[in-house]
Amino acid sequence: MSRALRLLLAAAGRTGGALVLLMGASFVIYITIRSAPGDAIDAISPMGTPPQVKARLLAEFGLDRDPLTGYFAWLFRSARGDFGDSLVVAAGESVMAVAWPAFKITLILSGLTLLASLALALLGALVLGRPAGRQQLLTGPLYVITSAPSFVQAVLLAQGLNWTIHRYWEQLNYETPPWYPIPIYTDSLMPYVFAGLALLLGDGLFMDFFNAIRAELEGLRDAQFIAAVKAKGARTWGHIARNMLVPLVSGYAARLPIVLGGVVIVEYIFTLEGAGYLLLEASRERDFPVVVGISVLFTATVIGSTLIADVLRTLVDPREVARGG
Amino acid sequence: MGGRAERIAFWGSGAIVALVIAIGLVSPLIGYDPAAAVDYEQKLLGPGAGHWLGTDAQGRDVAMRLMKGTEAFFLPGLMAAGIATMAGALLGAIAGYAEGWGRTLVVGFLQLVDTLPRLIFIILVCTILNPSITLIAGVAGVLFIPSIATVIRRKVEALGSEDYILAHVAHGFSTTRILLYHILWLQARPLLIRQATYVFGYVLFVETALSYLGDYGVQEPTPSWGNMVAQTRELGGASAWPWVFPAVAIAVTIAAFLAFGNLLARRDEEAIR
Repeated sequence: MSRALRLLLAAAGRTGGALVLLMGASFVIYITIRSAPGDAIDAISPMGTPPQVKARLLAEFGLDRDPLTGYFAWLFRSARGDFGDSLVVAAGESVMAVAWPAFKITLILSGLTLLASLALALLGALVLGRPAGRQQLLTGPLYVITSAPSFVQAVLLAQGLNWTIHRYWEQLNYETPPWYPIPIYTDSLMPYVFAGLALLLGDGLFMDFFNAIRAELEGLRDAQFIAAVKAKGARTWGHIARNMLVPLVSGYAARLPIVLGGVVIVEYIFTLEGAGYLLLEASRERDFPVVVGISVLFTATVIGSTLIADVLRTLVDPREVARGG
Repeated sequence: MGGRAERIAFWGSGAIVALVIAIGLVSPLIGYDPAAAVDYEQKLLGPGAGHWLGTDAQGRDVAMRLMKGTEAFFLPGLMAAGIATMAGALLGAIAGYAEGWGRTLVVGFLQLVDTLPRLIFIILVCTILNPSITLIAGVAGVLFIPSIATVIRRKVEALGSEDYILAHVAHGFSTTRILLYHILWLQARPLLIRQATYVFGYVLFVETALSYLGDYGVQEPTPSWGNMVAQTRELGGASAWPWVFPAVAIAVTIAAFLAFGNLLARRDEEAIR
């Protein structure tokens, strides 16, 4: 069998597995909806929902059928991107029309933050090299600072900035600078930059990445095949870079759920109109179709990122294909 | 980490963990009425002799609320760590040792739960069910089962073919004894310690985050470090004392639990070797 065909088969196998997982996860979400106490339709609709809207919700979520039939009816609708209409946050609009633009913001913010974290961690690992005594003066405090949850980082950033601007800037009779993120009812990109900074500094993300990358680099530098390359007088960086691709891609995918967890609250703090902010608003208003739609989008993203990482790993690492993908 | 620095980190983080545990145990025994604690004549005081960490906008003592705030995450954190560690160890052992359908089912279940984004799923559950911190901790515990089970599974798979385990099998030791005592307790204990402290730290994060948001966590006037930080919304720049101490407490406690768990596990690993 040719390598291309084996790669294709491996990718197809992994995609199939990811689809099965997505179905399973959507089933867990569906069963959670059905486990609402009392009459499920009352639990999932806001106070004062008209009876005809309740009847529509009942049909949309398949709550008028047995769990399995109801699930498949809901699944088929959801698979077409039809999560119903929003009840409160954008009453009458389709959930996807509301959730997708917000989700794109969240995805870009999370993706770029993670990329920045990866780049900084890689740079730090390359500059610092092997762990040494004096480095702990830097890495120790950094560990404590970056262990704080991203929402605490966001609060500290926002308050620190607030205090600095009001004390040192406005008291000198300057106007509030246009990049100032609080309040953020502007078209400025700065609130997103601050949100990204809070995410980058929080939830232990950076140090976790840094330690993992440094360990991988150390392992590679000590590897016998690198010693052999050196003995031949050839350059080792090409080999190290190629072998680092796998852990970097896997590490990126593995840490995406951490960022997606943090982004929900950070978006709320900086009032960014992303999916996290929308999720919290919808949850507060009991706009159930929106809550479920966004939850499914987040879950699909986690599964999708793992799938992409798996497929890339298969492309980069020939051993994966030999193992059967 | 080097010898001296590691010792300092171990004892430093250990002291903070011990302090939080001691406060968590003692705090419920101390009577505190949040309504009676309001004293507007004492509002927004800085740290001083009468109020070590100052007072908030309602004149309530920040140090007392910080201490009582541990109740919001202490028992829920232990509960979540207990659920995740016990179920994760058990399922990981089964997935690593069993063969056939049992293994496939367990691995499938673990993969399924692992795909659910934790905080998003907790918010979904809170929207549907009557939210409480016990429910949140229970869900967090279940969501952490796969991460613990995965490391245990790898350990069991690695040890399953070791000579001394095969010798135990040849001696007629029961599978339960080999798995629970010889593998989980004697060999996988450091992994469990590390993961349990991580889960505890996560529950502290979720509790404070949801209490900060104000909808599903601990509601005012009951103190939580999260709803204490949320006072930034009302205070603006008026005073930092009411929210800086809880914000620092959250950061330091999470860092201490993670560091102590890691270092304790590392010491245990060295002892096992």
